[in-house]
Amino acid sequence: MLIGIDVGGTTTDAVLIDKGKVINTSKVPTDQDHLLECLMSALDELVREVSPEKIERVVLSTTLITNLIAEGKTDPVALIMEPGPGMNPEGYNLGGEVQIVRGAIDYRGREIQALDEDQVKNAAAKISERGYRKVAVASKFGQRNHSHEEKMREIVLAVSPGIQVEMGHRASGRLNFPRRMATTMLKIAAQDRYREFAREIAEAISKRKIEAPIYILKADGGTLPLETSVEYPVETIFSGPAASTMGVLALTPPGQTSVVVDIGGTTTDLALILDGVPLMSSEGAKVNSYLTHIRAFAVKSVALGGDSLVRAAGDGVALGPERAGPAYCLGGPEPTPTDAMRLLSMISIGERSLAEEAMSNLGKDLGCSAGEAAQKVVDTAVDELLAEINGMFLAWELEPAYRVWEILQKEKIRPQNVVGVGGGSLGLVPLVAERLGARGIIPENATVANAIGAAVARPTLTLTFRADTERGFYNVAEDGTTGEIRDRKFSQKEAEAMAKRLIIERAEMMGIKEYASEAVVTASEVFNMVRGWSTSGRILDVNMQIPAGLIPEWTGGGRV
Amino acid sequence: MGLIFFPAFDWAITPTHPEREERLLYTRDQIFEEGLMDLPQVEEYKPRLAELKDIARVHFCIPSVESLVTEAHLIAAGSTLVLADAYMKKEITNAFALVRPPGHHSMRVAHGNRGFCNVNNEAIMVEYIRRKYGIRRVAIIDTDVHHGDGTQDIFYHDPDVLFISFHQDGRTLYPGSGFVDEQGGPKAIGRTINIPLPPETPDEGIHLVLEELVLPILTEFRPQLVVNSAGQDNHYTDPLANMRFSAQGYAKLNEMLAPDIAVLEGGYAIETALPYVNCGIILAMAGLDYSNVREPDYHPGRFAMSRAMEANITGTIEYLQGIWEAREELTAKAVERAGPFFRRHKNIFYDTDGIREKQTESVKMCPDKSCPGYMTIDTDAVRGYGSSDSGFGVFVPLFACKRCREEAREEYEAHKTDSRYNYVFFQDKNSDNFRLYSARMHNERVY
Repeated sequence: MLIGIDVGGTTTDAVLIDKGKVINTSKVPTDQDHLLECLMSALDELVREVSPEKIERVVLSTTLITNLIAEGKTDPVALIMEPGPGMNPEGYNLGGEVQIVRGAIDYRGREIQALDEDQVKNAAAKISERGYRKVAVASKFGQRNHSHEEKMREIVLAVSPGIQVEMGHRASGRLNFPRRMATTMLKIAAQDRYREFAREIAEAISKRKIEAPIYILKADGGTLPLETSVEYPVETIFSGPAASTMGVLALTPPGQTSVVVDIGGTTTDLALILDGVPLMSSEGAKVNSYLTHIRAFAVKSVALGGDSLVRAAGDGVALGPERAGPAYCLGGPEPTPTDAMRLLSMISIGERSLAEEAMSNLGKDLGCSAGEAAQKVVDTAVDELLAEINGMFLAWELEPAYRVWEILQKEKIRPQNVVGVGGGSLGLVPLVAERLGARGIIPENATVANAIGAAVARPTLTLTFRADTERGFYNVAEDGTTGEIRDRKFSQKEAEAMAKRLIIERAEMMGIKEYASEAVVTASEVFNMVRGWSTSGRILDVNMQIPAGLIPEWTGGGRV
Repeated sequence: MGLIFFPAFDWAITPTHPEREERLLYTRDQIFEEGLMDLPQVEEYKPRLAELKDIARVHFCIPSVESLVTEAHLIAAGSTLVLADAYMKKEITNAFALVRPPGHHSMRVAHGNRGFCNVNNEAIMVEYIRRKYGIRRVAIIDTDVHHGDGTQDIFYHDPDVLFISFHQDGRTLYPGSGFVDEQGGPKAIGRTINIPLPPETPDEGIHLVLEELVLPILTEFRPQLVVNSAGQDNHYTDPLANMRFSAQGYAKLNEMLAPDIAVLEGGYAIETALPYVNCGIILAMAGLDYSNVREPDYHPGRFAMSRAMEANITGTIEYLQGIWEAREELTAKAVERAGPFFRRHKNIFYDTDGIREKQTESVKMCPDKSCPGYMTIDTDAVRGYGSSDSGFGVFVPLFACKRCREEAREEYEAHKTDSRYNYVFFQDKNSDNFRLYSARMHNERVY
């Protein structure tokens, strides 16, 4: 049996799945200050009648890190930055204690200026004097040559033994120095609290005699073993939309293009699944004001939900962004989209007479009948959602591209399905679908689709391999693995084979080796390096990943 | 600022040619690592393909537009159009098309690739903007180390387009033109300004030219659009030229010139110059501090300008100031001297494709002073030892009078049956009508 528990903003949803069927669900209100208790009460309610040895896999999501970062409750972190030539480093807005040191590495990982070690010593002393216990050290292009970051770490540890130091290249190997610094700082800032949380979870679950492996859901829709996840605490952010999107992926037929509409009380999250693959944000996630390297789905959050406040605005109506409380027809104080849908019989929750009252009050302001007012509310809501959905498709079409073939092949894609999930009222989904010329789907178990998504999501993994045969080495951006390449004629085929070997090793290290065979090459490129009219070497880039997907145990796929 | 970065990572002239996949690889690394695309001051746009008509609006392509351009050329040209639209619609305050392949050696008649260029990106963009948005006065400043002979050729007779090129002296570098006496056609004297600079000119020299000559002329000309044809091969490490500019020099140049739209041209020091120069230009155009951008082996004061070099450059500046000030008189004299038609003969060499072309250009000196007159070009091109392609093109510029437009059309019709020509081309900018008649195929293509 599979268990998925997704902690949302207001409720925590859980499902128990057996042989591709949801056999039990539970819902408890989320208490952000007591996430562990809330996860466990959802779990306990779910498995009350199940013997623990039958449970094969437990996947949880957590809002812990999202909340800590949003509330500024992460630990203080100082940064030692080696910017080298380029932008004025004073322009980076990373907050906190920042020390800038001399030294530089270039785009190919060559040292172009030695690290000023005395400066690092002084910086470390200042940081320690000011009471910091956590330090991030980062070089521009440090992912292409770790030696300066390692030296900085060594010096900081020598100056203040026992201090925690995190290196930029360990947080991400992708290009973008400011994002790498922010990601490194968030990682080390959140790590202790997260480690504590992971320990408590493991303990609590083991107390319940459940011995199944425990996984945590990440923003990219993938899962990670709980014990490995302590190295990647920030990747647990934005798990809510990831869970819903994976849920839709599980509940619709494979290979289709769908818009995921997750309607809540005050916001609606929109996500896209293109030809069966959830659309990732092309850059990393924005966490509060920080741009990071954290991989996440491309999600658009719209301030419009079932409980949004509805007001007359000129001839039309304005919806949200504030919440009116529960809908009027459910005993709330103000008219909401839910009331409009109730009056038009699109949904059946709440008192019809109260809905009528709400809409006729609104109608008075608009100079029309209750029914006309309700229609205006629904039309406006549909218009707003449509505009956002079309905007997402357009943004995807307009994503920059750097190769001729990418420009030529990108065609317009239109959705086949509009899939409504979540706890909010889903009456708008068929109307949005109709306007898009797509099929509206509200799957069975739509209100716990997020928990289903968590339960059946498989691990994800990326590997960014680069070989520079002129300089005679390769490296893996994600974990800083480097090695020699002696053969100047090292071919693309060999590079891909090597990347494949490396991703298998990496999967093993992450505790997910059984999924390594799902790894695919997503990009492979060779640049011949020509110096003085003859070829002097090659740069070979190979990107591999285990993409977001479903575990093979899930057999409940959509049969729409 | 708006930015299109299109490195064409899957396109090369040949695998070892300077214009190959690797050219902007390290530039990509540097500008992505800096996080420039994340800056609130920078808006990244996606390229699109230019339409064949956008090319035909500028070029007489032999044997056809389709056979002369690859998709990469259409994307490079199309990128400038995306940015032009964004700029004209005021989505952005300035723009940089950091794209390849380049274009400024492509002339009006295009038989193939010369100087790594097939079609002229800046000219395509300028004519697109003039057609679509109705602006008239444009200034193109060519800051590539090579003379922008293609752009000069296309706008030579156009009094509304000010073309200024500074470059390493043509006696020492390809394409061997761009001397001070190339000043524009009879009705456009002073609207082409060439500033040959001695080899090894450093930042100081170019900033002197800008301050003393280019900026004052721009102030007087009052262009509605300023374009920087932005080559990066004046750099002190460029393998194909001999100048001494630095990344700081380039950034400052763009800050001083403040172009509305910059378009990348040449620059082949792909590791030692381009990552730093491009970073500097982007920061300068975005209005950000570029003082920390420097090459690893650069230090301020590394290249000083000698007295003799300064005197040489000052002499050129003073001579050209004189031409600019006297442009009205010089125009009147040149028109008088030309008679009813102005004619010139040109020998053009296509280094990349090994083509020799002979041209005779003929411009009607219309008595109507405000009419620039129509132009015909007789072209004959020989490839290697083999076949020769001959063509006749008729060009009607914007603001041509009715009479000239009619005469031009008659010329076109008459030459369609002239057996000396394989291809006859007609271009009327006023009606945005472009025709190519192939005598071999007996058909007319309308773009």
